[in-house]
Amino acid sequence: MLSFIARRLAMAVPTLFIVSVAVFALVRLVPGDPASLMLGDLATPAALADLRHRLGLDQSLPQQYLTWLANLLHGDLGQSITSQQPVLPLVLDRFVISARIVLVAVLLAAFVAVPAGMVAAWRQDSAVDLAVVGLSTLLLSIPTFWLGLLVLLLFGLKLGWLPVVGYVGFAEAPGKALLYLLMPVLTLFLHEIGVVVRMARASTLEVLRLDYITHARAKGLSEGEVMWRHAFHNSFGPTWTLLGLVLGNLLGGIAVVETVFTIPGLGRLLVDSIFGRDYPVIQGCLLLIAFVYVLVNLVVDLLYPLFDPRVTAQ
Amino acid sequence: MNSRTALVLAAALGFAAAAPAQTVNVARNADIRSLNPGVNRDDNTDAVMLHMVEGLVAMRENGSVGPLLAENVALAKDGVTYTFTLRKGVKFHNGAPLTAADVLWSWNRYMDPKTDWRCLSEFDGRNGLKVESVTAPNPQTVVMRINKPNGLFLDTLARPDCAGAGVIHKDSLNADGSFKAPVGTGPFKLDEWKRGEYVKLSKFAGYVSPAGKDTDGYTGAKRPLVDAVKFMVIPDPATTKAAIVSGAIDTAEMLDSDLLDLQKAPNVDVQTTTNGVKEVILFQTRDPVMGKQKIREAISHALDLRQLVPAVTSGLAKPNPSVIHTGSPFYDETQKQGYRYDPALARKLLQEAGYKGEVIKMITNKRAARPSFNIALISQQMMQAVGLNVEIEVLEWATQLDRYNKGNYQMMAFSYSARLDPALSYEQFSGPKDKQPRKVWENPQALALIEKASASSDEAERRRIFDELHKSFQQDIPMLMLFNEVQVNAVSRRMQGFRPWVATKPRLWEVKVTR
Repeated sequence: MLSFIARRLAMAVPTLFIVSVAVFALVRLVPGDPASLMLGDLATPAALADLRHRLGLDQSLPQQYLTWLANLLHGDLGQSITSQQPVLPLVLDRFVISARIVLVAVLLAAFVAVPAGMVAAWRQDSAVDLAVVGLSTLLLSIPTFWLGLLVLLLFGLKLGWLPVVGYVGFAEAPGKALLYLLMPVLTLFLHEIGVVVRMARASTLEVLRLDYITHARAKGLSEGEVMWRHAFHNSFGPTWTLLGLVLGNLLGGIAVVETVFTIPGLGRLLVDSIFGRDYPVIQGCLLLIAFVYVLVNLVVDLLYPLFDPRVTAQ
Repeated sequence: MNSRTALVLAAALGFAAAAPAQTVNVARNADIRSLNPGVNRDDNTDAVMLHMVEGLVAMRENGSVGPLLAENVALAKDGVTYTFTLRKGVKFHNGAPLTAADVLWSWNRYMDPKTDWRCLSEFDGRNGLKVESVTAPNPQTVVMRINKPNGLFLDTLARPDCAGAGVIHKDSLNADGSFKAPVGTGPFKLDEWKRGEYVKLSKFAGYVSPAGKDTDGYTGAKRPLVDAVKFMVIPDPATTKAAIVSGAIDTAEMLDSDLLDLQKAPNVDVQTTTNGVKEVILFQTRDPVMGKQKIREAISHALDLRQLVPAVTSGLAKPNPSVIHTGSPFYDETQKQGYRYDPALARKLLQEAGYKGEVIKMITNKRAARPSFNIALISQQMMQAVGLNVEIEVLEWATQLDRYNKGNYQMMAFSYSARLDPALSYEQFSGPKDKQPRKVWENPQALALIEKASASSDEAERRRIFDELHKSFQQDIPMLMLFNEVQVNAVSRRMQGFRPWVATKPRLWEVKVTR
């Protein structure tokens, strides 16, 4: 097991290296100049050249990359061009905020969507199945920014139950922090249950058609036992893999929800830094997201044997 | 015992609860960049900073310049020596009294290249103007001597993007000389900055307001009447709208497309004001097609601005053919003269220019707060109606700005930030393209006139020059001035005293809230 983990982590190094090269190249291929953006419509060529020099943007691209990589190997992701903060603590702080929302939303989605998907498969073509599939398709089809606005208008504006703007950290006031996180979590939860329900239903349907399920029923086991002991364990594997992917995806794709609910998370930081051409922050965010992706998938693979003993972590 | 008596009794016994702190919540679409005035800054940073720091002079309501930390400013007969007499009783946020020595220290810090002040090049001679000496002959007097007469010296000192050359105390720096936090003389002082969330300023109880009954730009009455001001970062316009309607914030700059909804909201007032932002269509005069004056003239006649301008501003703005903003004292009858809509003449001019249907690319962007995309869309239709083959190229703002700075375009729907003095407004887009590709107008006579207007302090002479410049601008058509932006502010009815103005930034002094 330990060697498996070590091997997988070692495999992450070339992945992250490739990501770093790709991110560095792509970010600089995008037209636009951070110095221009900082100085605005009054930038003189001298002021632009001066700022580009101070930001190190007048160096050749390979030179810029090597400098960045050398610093990276020392645990230094550089300094934000716009806020002049060190990138590593900046992205980690923001990551914690996003991760909290994403984790809670995905866990809740899994707790609701997996049983719902299984029930829909168990009662295939019934009214329950139709309702679950219909609702999940609807939720899946609504863009998150619109869903977020609907949630905001309902709970923030119409009912006035939850604060419309702002953010409070858990360290400051846990109870208040929870209030501020309810709407973003609810939005992501609603969106993600659509994805998970469909996967849980499809994989359960597949399992329910297998002979051993018929055999279990022929033995006289109750439907509950058939579903829980025989169907769930074998059908949950693909959903578990999907949950890992969803988790990784959301960390990069949470920007819209964070923008609507004014959450100072990683997604918003990434989008802001793309608009501001804040190269070190973009690189830091994307590298962190890639690393988390690798890590989440590793955890998924390690835990997979719990659900499907045929698969071993080797 | 009635409730009033009970309250009095409770107060007398010391039981009365403390009055809740009055905080004004203001929405801003992005976080500030730093706390260092005029250094790492943008428009949001300046807006917050100018509540904490003040300069010797500042912008008035109409864009002219008046004294702020100075009680008066005297220009000697030599035209280059300015004597600033400081207001008495002014204190820094740390309680220290303001003296001429503080002004001198602050100025020297700005002029030190290590400070990285945005406006250093405006005062060190690189752009013509040079502050040759600054002295403090006594604690109440500062004398500045410049290299040659310059009518824009005080305007440049007052520029918001220079943080108004705000005077800060030595305590603003750490022991190693690095910047800590601004200790200024403004009506509010820094309380807390939570990056990505908000900047909170608290009332400076020791503030001494300049004379005047009313707020006058950044001068006039500036009393802090609320306990705190919280600038909240709300990037999404729809969330901002929900926040103002719900009462979570007290004022915000809104999209004009939200005007109708906001007018129906029971607890919100909508205030509009024309500011100095210029909405324009730029022409690249070095382009083979757009270089032909007759084609640019044809475009000027092809656009019906009386239709276009209201259509892209929800009926709020009016056409302005002049680069001088409509509230300026220099905005006279001459400045109102523009091109009349005449499609037949436009067609004739195109024929005379030998235009053969070459494709003209018009660059624009889709920033929510700017009308550039709609301007491009409607003007494209109007230009196509006279036979111009215009295609729209939508770029992300950073890319468009890059193309602008390189002069790499044929035609562009663009917004210029507010420059309130006419000479600064002309200078914004005029200059030799060989040296500065972003410049739009490079007529040598015009450049000489702009320089003359910059040097002059004589109002009558300046007016003559600006009128002459306007005529020349209309003749050359390096760009088409469409209108000045109309800023839409939603203001909670709980708030009194808030007024938007030509410089676009919110002012939270002389403002009260009732909860």
